[in-house]
Amino acid sequence: MSALTFTLKHKPAQRVDMSPLVCQKLAGLQVNQIAALTLQNGKRKIRVDELFVIDGVDTQNIIIKGSFEKLDFIGKELEGGSITVEGDAGAYLGLGMKSGEIVVTGNVGLYAACEMKKGFLCVNGNAGDFLGAALPGNKMGMKGGTILIKGNVGERAGDHMRRGNILIEGNAGDYCGSRMTAGTIAVMGQTGNYLGFAMRRGTLLLWNQPVASARFNDCGAHTLAFLPILFAAFKKLNSRFASSGASFNRVQRYAGDMSEMGKGEVLVKIN
Amino acid sequence: MLIKLTNGAVYDPASGVDGTKQDIYIQDGRIVNKPVGDDPVDKEFDLSGKVVMSGAIDMHTHIGGGKGNIARILLPEDHRQDPVARTDVTRSGCGHAMPSTFVTGYRYAEMGYTAGFEPAVLPINARQAHMEMADIPILDKGGYVLLGSDDYLLRMLTAKKDQKAINDYVAFTMQAAKAIGVKVVNPGGINAFKFNQRKLDLDEQNCHYGVTPRDILQVLATAVKEIGVSHPLHVHGCNLGVPGNVNTTLDTIQGIGGLPMHLTHIQFHSYGTEGDFKFSSGAAQIAEAVNKNKNITIDVGQILFGQTVTASGDNMRQHANHKFASPNKWVTMDIECDAGCGVVPFKYKDQNFVNALQWAIGLETFLLVEDPWRIFLTTDHPNGAPFTSYPHLIRLLMDRSFRNDVLSTIHPEAQKMTNLASIEREYSLQEIAIMTRAGAAKLIGLQDRGGLSAGNWADITVYTDNVDRQKMFEKPDYVFKDGQLVVVDGKVVSTKWGTTHVVKPDFDASLEKDLQKYFDRFMTMKLGNFKISDDEITEDGRGSLTIHPLNGEVA
Repeated sequence: MSALTFTLKHKPAQRVDMSPLVCQKLAGLQVNQIAALTLQNGKRKIRVDELFVIDGVDTQNIIIKGSFEKLDFIGKELEGGSITVEGDAGAYLGLGMKSGEIVVTGNVGLYAACEMKKGFLCVNGNAGDFLGAALPGNKMGMKGGTILIKGNVGERAGDHMRRGNILIEGNAGDYCGSRMTAGTIAVMGQTGNYLGFAMRRGTLLLWNQPVASARFNDCGAHTLAFLPILFAAFKKLNSRFASSGASFNRVQRYAGDMSEMGKGEVLVKIN
Repeated sequence: MLIKLTNGAVYDPASGVDGTKQDIYIQDGRIVNKPVGDDPVDKEFDLSGKVVMSGAIDMHTHIGGGKGNIARILLPEDHRQDPVARTDVTRSGCGHAMPSTFVTGYRYAEMGYTAGFEPAVLPINARQAHMEMADIPILDKGGYVLLGSDDYLLRMLTAKKDQKAINDYVAFTMQAAKAIGVKVVNPGGINAFKFNQRKLDLDEQNCHYGVTPRDILQVLATAVKEIGVSHPLHVHGCNLGVPGNVNTTLDTIQGIGGLPMHLTHIQFHSYGTEGDFKFSSGAAQIAEAVNKNKNITIDVGQILFGQTVTASGDNMRQHANHKFASPNKWVTMDIECDAGCGVVPFKYKDQNFVNALQWAIGLETFLLVEDPWRIFLTTDHPNGAPFTSYPHLIRLLMDRSFRNDVLSTIHPEAQKMTNLASIEREYSLQEIAIMTRAGAAKLIGLQDRGGLSAGNWADITVYTDNVDRQKMFEKPDYVFKDGQLVVVDGKVVSTKWGTTHVVKPDFDASLEKDLQKYFDRFMTMKLGNFKISDDEITEDGRGSLTIHPLNGEVA
């Protein structure tokens, strides 16, 4: 069966709420029924076929072609199936997704994979602020699954994160891993200021030395047996994290945030 | 314009009408007698088979003041999960437990309510409370000003100032804060919290001022009576939520010595310590005391199961309960020299023994207190449940089999600890009308409200009689506010602005000399700014003030 493909006809001036176009909501619908669904576009409601040319039939395999940065809420609460975004995605990509897979070829906006429960999300470009974070005011961010970002990420990646993996091949902005409760964030590039701000538990795995902070205590150099096991788990990914050269087990360990519980750890690769 | 409501079954306890078919005429916002001439009727509504009551009055609902905004900020999920879109006549908003001001007004009106009274107006924040209530459409509103934990009053008591001086201070504060009543929350306890006391019994001294809650209740209840305010002292007693507090409450009733006193959300103050879980119902004792003491009025503060948020001035008790916060986040704070504030989100669960028994205790209280003129229907919105659950609560009161069905689903141990199943009483429509209309208007001292006889303002609600009382009270056919048709079939069709009800008791202006010094030394606000002027309520062109007479005065 061919993938259900939405090809953008034109770029609307106002933002679009794409949350109706997820696999579980489209299951069993015919193309003409999908075309008649409405999307919130700024303050107007528009039909899906006003914005997209629709081809294909497999609702469990969705492709959005010509996507751009104003298409918000793609893959909201996805419960299985796959969504491929060709181009950029707007804010709240994969908000609260429960399983399945989302791949984006371009960049994504704010709050990508916010409060994600499970599944896999891969972004080939950059991600905005609050990747895998909690919605404003909520206490729990990402609760499971894996996020792979091949570019850079904005500020507050993994804010209030609780479980799961965030893998960043590029750089991370300020406040990476802030208020983390648990989970793992790995950053191959540089990190910004206030790394692990108010983190309680969890692991930040870094390839490069972060900005020194009085809130973290140096616990010395360690050889950690769990690291090769962790890297082995990344082997199946199409990523630099999967390459055999990526794996290491010697790290400098810092514990913090000491103004919180201090049970979090920052592990920095020893070259 | 003359409007005629024809042939409805009228329930108007204020004039003793109990379900008689009557016609009602409305002209210029008020109910009028049948015109003698042949004035043409401009609009007639055929209300055959309908039930007509005056607009309902919620005499204790937290709809204004800083704590509401703190609750809103604390609970963005409450708003995200309950968005309300704008329509041609209504504005957008959001919120389930603590809705935005506009949504508050619409939802109240859509249930047939036409007035709501904010029971905890902190003097220093009174301006904000009034500004917020000014943004609630359709409803009339008013506030009870919070005294009893303010340092000025406690200093007066420590200095043994005479009752006259305290009366002046109470009257001054009521005028300055534009209030219609006086509320006391955990008398002196909020202040004691600031001196690191974590509980304060009725006869326990504040460790700094040496004043007991009993003293405070006595002088304030006396002051309210002597300056002639109709609404008795509105008391949120000591030891809210503490097992065994039923004795404190009974003591409070005895200790007031016959002075008029309103005990609010009494369900939270009716707990015993019996049983395996050391938590039991004191409702029967409370009801007996209320039945016996005619000076006492109560509202229940019923809890209903589900998510809500508790917002109270009682930061001593809110701090003690913070570990039950669900979701797990909470705020308590100090309000300069006045009182405090505590906001704790709460999820009442029917499978939790304590919550289930709280539910039963509230209902027992409703059903065991005999005089519906002295008990009022509240959930202490939003503390026991959001006000939108009133129709459900009315059904619980009016329908014994429904009540017992719900009872059979709650925590089994709680079922054993309540005699609710054996209580046969079912409220009548007339009793509901008393609790939510005539009685409330009488208690607050509202003139020309809460009744359907000629001369009253035309706040009228029309329901379709339905054995499912929840359905009936959820969706009135028509609601008139001051003669304007605002709701049809449970939906707002037009909006208007209600008035603000106040009293203006006299005081000896020389007290301001001493207050001036106190304000200059301790407060962030100047005394001149502390006083809210009439213009602040009315100058936007939509607010208005309605001044009600004091006892003994002729309007």
